[in-house]
Amino acid sequence: MNQKITAGQPSVPMKKGLRRFRSLPFRIEYDPHKKSGGWWIPLLSIGAALAICALFIALNGMNPAVVYGKMLQGAFGSSFGFSETLVKAIPLLLCGLGVAIAYRISIWNIGAEGQLIAGAIGATAVTIFAPNLPGPLYIPVMMLAGAAAGAAWGLLTAIPRAFFQVNELISSLMLNYIALLLLDYFVFGPWRDPEGFNFPGTPIFTPSQMLATIGGSRLHFGLIFALIAVAVFAFLLSKTRWGYELRLLGANPSAAAYSGIKANKHILIVMMISGGLAGFAGMLEVSGTAHRLMYGISPGYGYTAIIIAWIAKLNPWAMIVSSVFIGGLIVGGYSVQTIGLPSSMSLMLQGSILFCLIGGEMLSKYRLKRVSEEGK
Amino acid sequence: MKKLLGLFLLIMMFSILAACSQESASDPVKEEPAKAVDSESTEPKKIVKPRVAFVYIGVPGDGGWTFEHDKGREMVDETFSIESTTVENVPEGPDAERVIEELAQNHDIIFTTSFGYMDPTVNVAKKYPDVVFMHATGYKTAENIGTYQGKGYEPGYLAGVAAGKLTKNNKIGYVGAFPIPEVIYTINAFTLGAQSVNPNIEVSVVWSNTWFDPATERQAAISLLDEGVDLLANYQDSPAGIQAAAERGVWGMGNDSDMGHYVPETYVTNPVLNWGPYYVEVVQSVVDETWKSGAALNGLKEGMVDIAPFGKNVPQDVQDLVNAKKQELIDGTLNVFTGPIKDQTGEIKVADGETVSVEDILGMNWFVEGVKGTIPK
Amino acid sequence: MDLFILLITAAISSGTPLLFAVLGGIISEKAGVINLGTEGIMLIGAVISCIVFIQTGNLFVTLVAAVFAAAGLGFIHAFLCISLRSNQIVSGLAITLFGTGLSAYLGKAIAGTALAVSVPKIKLPWLESVPFIGRIFSNLDLFIWVSVALAVLLYLYMYKTSLGLHLKAVGDSPSTSDVMGISVAGYRYFHVIAGSMLMGLAGFYLIMVYSPNWIEGMTAGRGWIAIALIIFARWNPLYALLCAYFFGGLDALGFRIQLFDIGIPSYFLKMLPYVSTILVLMFIGWKNRHNPPAEPTSLGIPYFREQRF
Repeated sequence: MNQKITAGQPSVPMKKGLRRFRSLPFRIEYDPHKKSGGWWIPLLSIGAALAICALFIALNGMNPAVVYGKMLQGAFGSSFGFSETLVKAIPLLLCGLGVAIAYRISIWNIGAEGQLIAGAIGATAVTIFAPNLPGPLYIPVMMLAGAAAGAAWGLLTAIPRAFFQVNELISSLMLNYIALLLLDYFVFGPWRDPEGFNFPGTPIFTPSQMLATIGGSRLHFGLIFALIAVAVFAFLLSKTRWGYELRLLGANPSAAAYSGIKANKHILIVMMISGGLAGFAGMLEVSGTAHRLMYGISPGYGYTAIIIAWIAKLNPWAMIVSSVFIGGLIVGGYSVQTIGLPSSMSLMLQGSILFCLIGGEMLSKYRLKRVSEEGK
Repeated sequence: MKKLLGLFLLIMMFSILAACSQESASDPVKEEPAKAVDSESTEPKKIVKPRVAFVYIGVPGDGGWTFEHDKGREMVDETFSIESTTVENVPEGPDAERVIEELAQNHDIIFTTSFGYMDPTVNVAKKYPDVVFMHATGYKTAENIGTYQGKGYEPGYLAGVAAGKLTKNNKIGYVGAFPIPEVIYTINAFTLGAQSVNPNIEVSVVWSNTWFDPATERQAAISLLDEGVDLLANYQDSPAGIQAAAERGVWGMGNDSDMGHYVPETYVTNPVLNWGPYYVEVVQSVVDETWKSGAALNGLKEGMVDIAPFGKNVPQDVQDLVNAKKQELIDGTLNVFTGPIKDQTGEIKVADGETVSVEDILGMNWFVEGVKGTIPK
Repeated sequence: MDLFILLITAAISSGTPLLFAVLGGIISEKAGVINLGTEGIMLIGAVISCIVFIQTGNLFVTLVAAVFAAAGLGFIHAFLCISLRSNQIVSGLAITLFGTGLSAYLGKAIAGTALAVSVPKIKLPWLESVPFIGRIFSNLDLFIWVSVALAVLLYLYMYKTSLGLHLKAVGDSPSTSDVMGISVAGYRYFHVIAGSMLMGLAGFYLIMVYSPNWIEGMTAGRGWIAIALIIFARWNPLYALLCAYFFGGLDALGFRIQLFDIGIPSYFLKMLPYVSTILVLMFIGWKNRHNPPAEPTSLGIPYFREQRF
């Protein structure tokens, strides 16, 4: 696994800039096959990011230690903070799973935002058009409707991609904007609460249309579903023939074609699953936390999900960690505003942490190597 | 990796359990001892330095809505020599509820300054009966929630009077952000004001469907300017629309805050909000323990709304006329929404002598005659 | 006819900020590096423009400052993606987060300050007499012509020079170009940074011409639209010109249809550019179904020299 690839041929310094260091007895060399470092690499990266941000915070005239303490405390330090972090992590995790499955076969779905909104609209449609369902039926029907609407929205990306060679990056992005406008249309137009002084939002759901929450917190049972989704996702990918086909398709599309795997069929199915998961998240948002469909239902979950998926390297289990981590970062970001740090600063913090995470991850693949005779 | 995850899940389960048990244990029973510790004696602790918090939908630098609230916040800070907590860029919805709840844990008064914070405010207020919540532009009050709102239609009417006087070709453009009552009644008042001095005007409305996108607002403005309007009003936070108008030498009016310095040559005036005095009053009443819940709807008389100083090129006679009308509104001899008012189809919507009720104004979803544009239904 | 002329003028003016960003994205992607940081880079370009213009009042100095500030973010992206071979998607998103935050932070002090800027207009009196075209082109601002010139120059560079061919090779097959002695990292660094500079220019244009005062997040998603238009333009700078104007024109058309009062809710009119883009792409895709894709083959894939065969 960890074999020396450069053996046998004169090893070349990887880029011109480093040639200057030739006089040194060591050389930095990149080894793509080196297993990425242990658990301490991300911790070290986050440490580096915090050090960089400490500089910015100090520039803002505040004590970084106090700010970080508050951030940590706000996101994880109390049952309130932690439950809120988890509330935030649920849609992120589901959307993250959704985009990850598409990325597995190199479908660059950035449309989770639109799919989430479609799901929210779909779930809300049940409450609008079927106001007299028996109570216990609502949640399952809304879940189905949300996932179906998300899947349909995913199909709108998949069909042009599969049959018209339309790049999914552009179509999924455009569909985000379309979904957003559709949402505006419904909440400002036909679905707005007749008793709400014509303000943009549907009537508040009845209790049977709301997901149960855990204790007195806002943490709803969507969490369980999200975790089940992770397990199912992991099982399907690693243990089934379908998962194997996906992996083959992602790794080597032409080989997959030779072995009779129909790429188009997979694109359609994968985008339906991808959209369905995001749509399901949309249902959880309206039914679990917002309790109505309203203007601005998603503060960009679909986009953040892309980060969730990638820092977990598309691994479903790792996505639990990354979604809670990013969720905490967002929650903590609002927390530190209460002690005077501007909201812009928490965005910078998030950006820096990402830089260091991915930078540190890759840096760990470099290693010092004694300069050999033939290399000179 | 798997082990690590197992551990993580375990921790998570525990914290959920902890959260459950803690939350169920709290509520009425637990609150009593907590209060006792807080104040030593049984008397509720008197507020010396009020702990005030503001929740903003945008940033103070938006030059409009949040900017004006932040100016009010500054006034509160100066009056009581405190430093209020502000949380900016809070999306309406689940995020808002968390932020408000976090603030409620250690503040006495919380101002939530956007309509969409209504449900979150109501939800949190239930859990924190000792905290005073003030929600801007909403309609749900409770024991510890008050609402407040400016009569934006009064200065809107005055702006219309100025517009009716200034337009030469009787074509006026209006860029609205969203078809919500606040914008709709301001456009109606504007049109009625303009008609009061010039019955032939026509107000064309274009919706930009955005609050925070200057480039789109500019496009919306240009589409109206291309139609040949010679006065452009905007219900937007950014000055993009009046800047586009200025480039063509067309009169411009903004909204929410004084935008005169952006386009000194072509600026007329515009409705402005002035929250400061009201905020100070509210905080003072909480300190004095005289605060009572209610729905404040204040106008020119109370000073919550006003019109900005006139641009330097607005003729004196127009200024005088507007100021006279302003006095009438303050005295109550003039009322913006008193009939006869026709709607767009030409039918009488408000009979002669009748006045639209406050509820109907705050929920308005129809245009008066003379407005060219549609409200999506 | 009159409406048509006005519409084309509006299309050009609303397409130009997009065009700068699309051109920047094209050269970056041609070298094989996706830059999802466009939004953040545009914002940095805009806020730096505003700060420097308030300080100096000089349009040229402002432009240089904006472009170099953007290059700074471009360098971070290049370093992460090329030297460290990090994931380009995450790096780009991080640039957007960081740039949005930094621009808001820097812009706090100057928010609401009006810029007394007047961008020179290029008057072409000889063109005025020509019907139709004359009214559109005889009075455009300087930077519109700069953007058009840039599109043409980039086209010539990419398709008619040997450097441009090398660029294509680097984006399509880095290992081959490496064997040919082309510095893959060098080309990628140069084009990612140059591309970011153009994105900074887009921010500069937005604040100097479009809306001359700083507002937090004033790009309002135009960076993302630009990323999508790169694909729409099939990585061709001349198509980019058309696509940006097409998109801008439909955007402007929506508002004009609102004025006709035909009862279509404004939300649906605002969908026009998005829906038409997808439909046009489907049409193009159908027509080109037998041709190879225009996308640089190694787009988004970091290059490891050790992998060469």
